[in-house]
Amino acid sequence: MAANFAINNIRDFEFIIGEWLPTERVFNYPQFADYYSKDDIKSVLGPILKMCKEVIEPTNDDGENHPIKFENGKVTTPPTFGPLFHQLQSEGWGTSNIDKAPDAMVMPEMLHMAVWELIGAANPTFMPYVLLTTGAADLIQSFGDEKLKQMFLPKMMDGTWSGTMCLTEPSAGSDVGDILSRAYPTDDPRIFKIKGNKIFITAGDNDFTENIIHLYLARIEGARPGTGGISLFVVPKYWVNEDGSFSDNDFQTTGVEHKMGQAGSVTAALAAGENDGCRGWLLGNDPREHEGKGQGMAQMFQMMNLARMETGHMALSCIINAFCNARDNAKERVQGRLLTNPKAGRVAIINHEDIKRTLLMGKAHIEAIRAMMYRVYLAFDQRERDPDPEVRKAASDLIEMTTPLCKAYPSDEGWWLISEAIQSYGGYGYCEEYPVAQIARDMKIYSIWEGTNYIQSMDLVGRKMQMKGGSLFGAWVKEMVDFCEANKGNEALAKEFAILDKALKAYQEMLKVYAGYAKTNFSLVPLYSRRVLTITSQLYCGRQILDQAVLADKKAKELGADHYDYNFYSGKVASAKYYLHNVVPNVWSVCEIIADGDSSALEVPLEAFEYM
Amino acid sequence: MKVLVCVKQTFDTEAKIELKDGKIADAGINLIINPYDEVAVEGAIQLKEKGIAKEIVIVAAGSDKAMDAIRTALAMGADRGILVQQDTAADEFARAVALAEAIKAENPNIILAGHVAADDGSSQVPTRVAEILGLPHVNVITAVEIAGDKATCTSEADGGTQVTEVSLPAVISSQVSWNEPRYPSMKGIMAAKKKPVATAAAAAAENKVKILEFSLPPAKAAGIKLEDEPEVCATKLAEWMKNTVKVEVK
Ligand SMILES: Cc1cc2nc3c(=O)[nH]c(=O)nc-3n(C[C@H](O)[C@H](O)[C@H](O)COP(=O)(O)OP(=O)(O)OC[C@H]3O[C@@H](n4cnc5c(N)ncnc54)[C@H](O)[C@@H]3O)c2cc1C
Repeated sequence: MAANFAINNIRDFEFIIGEWLPTERVFNYPQFADYYSKDDIKSVLGPILKMCKEVIEPTNDDGENHPIKFENGKVTTPPTFGPLFHQLQSEGWGTSNIDKAPDAMVMPEMLHMAVWELIGAANPTFMPYVLLTTGAADLIQSFGDEKLKQMFLPKMMDGTWSGTMCLTEPSAGSDVGDILSRAYPTDDPRIFKIKGNKIFITAGDNDFTENIIHLYLARIEGARPGTGGISLFVVPKYWVNEDGSFSDNDFQTTGVEHKMGQAGSVTAALAAGENDGCRGWLLGNDPREHEGKGQGMAQMFQMMNLARMETGHMALSCIINAFCNARDNAKERVQGRLLTNPKAGRVAIINHEDIKRTLLMGKAHIEAIRAMMYRVYLAFDQRERDPDPEVRKAASDLIEMTTPLCKAYPSDEGWWLISEAIQSYGGYGYCEEYPVAQIARDMKIYSIWEGTNYIQSMDLVGRKMQMKGGSLFGAWVKEMVDFCEANKGNEALAKEFAILDKALKAYQEMLKVYAGYAKTNFSLVPLYSRRVLTITSQLYCGRQILDQAVLADKKAKELGADHYDYNFYSGKVASAKYYLHNVVPNVWSVCEIIADGDSSALEVPLEAFEYM
Repeated sequence: MKVLVCVKQTFDTEAKIELKDGKIADAGINLIINPYDEVAVEGAIQLKEKGIAKEIVIVAAGSDKAMDAIRTALAMGADRGILVQQDTAADEFARAVALAEAIKAENPNIILAGHVAADDGSSQVPTRVAEILGLPHVNVITAVEIAGDKATCTSEADGGTQVTEVSLPAVISSQVSWNEPRYPSMKGIMAAKKKPVATAAAAAAENKVKILEFSLPPAKAAGIKLEDEPEVCATKLAEWMKNTVKVEVK
């Protein structure tokens, strides 16, 4: 038994949603007012925490012990995954939360994401089945007509059917514009014949839903080349007839990948229309009537943006569970004596300086990343439901701006952070009997799929920083400057504010240098883009966790050291101090590197790599 | 048929118990439905799913915090709740009087409860409630069949099972092995917000038990460790058993 769900409380969620973020307004939106308040966080997350431990954690082992199989054209999933999928979907914890019907029973996104964070920690390889179904249903809800919505949504929301996103092909990965899948008109202008091959399709097949609804990118004959000519189709595994019955849709699974981790998650190679019998519904315009322009990429981006948030969040789930396990181990494992008091005998390793530092490093990163993500999830609720168009717009801007950070930063840092959780176990961490090794294997994919983290960094520097002539980004940076300014008088955290201030100044200088590179030596832009993304995230996370610390410091002082909640608040202050003193200084150090502008990686002859 | 379930709010079974000023410190402790009562709630819901129960009423006696336990039961699928406001220091007798009073007003066909509470473990309340109301009581049941105004209950008995038939109304208290309580669904949690919960003052009753003192179990004494060659260790161990523990060999 390797898997272990070690999260034992939901206190930080209560702090974030109930105390820190301005969530009152969200709870008062008509959709929620009768059902939710700040006091209800526990009534939702409490039972989920219990369910994660008792029901979901055991399925994680199932993923390892019964990994995906592909035999005689059929995929077999771990036996407990299907029942879990049906349970979570039918009970309202999954896809149905996107339901836009006025009377839909849904919860605020920030609360829903806390549910997913916990479930994701309990079984990360199961989650994609729910996430992909949700993304696919969201596209049909946004771009499908009433007929398609009626045909697909109820069954995708209640767990009867599942969904996928089909972009990648053997010759088209990071550059989706190169896809070879084609669509040919039929007598019905909405229905096209689909022909092509997709690879790496997560949840691309399974043995537990009646049908699988693929959201499939293909180019209609006559549309433009590149991403601009691509269209999006709803291609069901089994064609759904008017009366709800199924016909064959000439859609085959041709293989599954054997991967480093995520053993319970299907990664399928799919073939559409090998016998010219595959059909799909077109979503949106026919490019032949719009100068060859397809809407597929723009539509798919809606799903990808959600999936990017979820990818970063899944990385966070993995980091948390790794560190909660590391903490429990460090409390139990007795080894060595205190350097400062060797006569006191052997101690649990949690008492050693280096292990304590490792744990606080994990806790600080977790809380900083979580602070960033829930700040953005609050914006999801505002964008969707706030009556004030200004609030909706500001929320939408924030989401646009931060999506690449939320995707890439947790998934980049997660890899080495979890490696440090492994390190804290010593040799046991390297053994599969303990859970951390599997968590590392499962989490690595998050920096790769949904656009590699390099693609995210180019999205940040090439698109997000430039949106509306750079004014959005400018306002976003200024908000952090204003935050420092507003807290100038905070004595308890004066040092930490000084660090954030110093980092911000260095960052603003760096931006000028970097903008200069865009004009003088453009290759330096992609050369440094990933590092720009990292420090941009560290600044933003630093700002958020310091804001939390201001509140936590106040509460800790009000309550006093004897109060049962004191350790929670003082622990939050410690996390913020660690993050500001040990992580944020990386911002100015990287700024110096960028200003130095070393271009050896551009100049090195390719042949030099032969001599490594 | 109306089924009433008595529910107690208890400490989380994982909670670390600490004493402060001679009393159990409850600040910050996670509170849950007594796990045995949760089984009774699930049993009631299953009776409703079978079409036997028409309405499920949850009754909890305790502080306002017990409202959370009622809401959880409503989220699982019960229909409405009654919070009998009572000092948490009430003993089993006072608790049973308060519950019996509320139950009498409801006039249910079946009264379900867990057979014991996970905190004080006294196993008294259902029996006392039955006694006060003059109703039959079947304890530690693992299954129940309802036919007309009769309940056939299977319960644990030494070395086997016992099948008891009682006429309704009756108090029936559950063993954990009766069923596997469900987790509240999202829609259940939302629906629970709109289900009615009435509050009532507890009927007056003096405690019969006076608690003199709370104390935690003494910390385990450190063991002794013998580190030597096996034969030396064996000799030392034998001497220790003979002289210190004074094990007598007959
Ligand atoms: C387990 C798994 C599940 C997946 N699930 C799905 C799915 O459900 N649906 C789907 O459509 N796809 C899916 N994918 C595909 C995934 O999105 C791609 O693997 C990913 O986008 C990278 O594409 P690629 O593998 O072709 O790598 P490549 O595009 O070949 O990239 C290789 C490396 O080159 C870099 N690179 C590429 N282009 C450039 C450039 N222009 N400049 C600089 N660097 C560049 C990349 O950053 C990367 O480091 C999945 C993949 C895996 C492994």
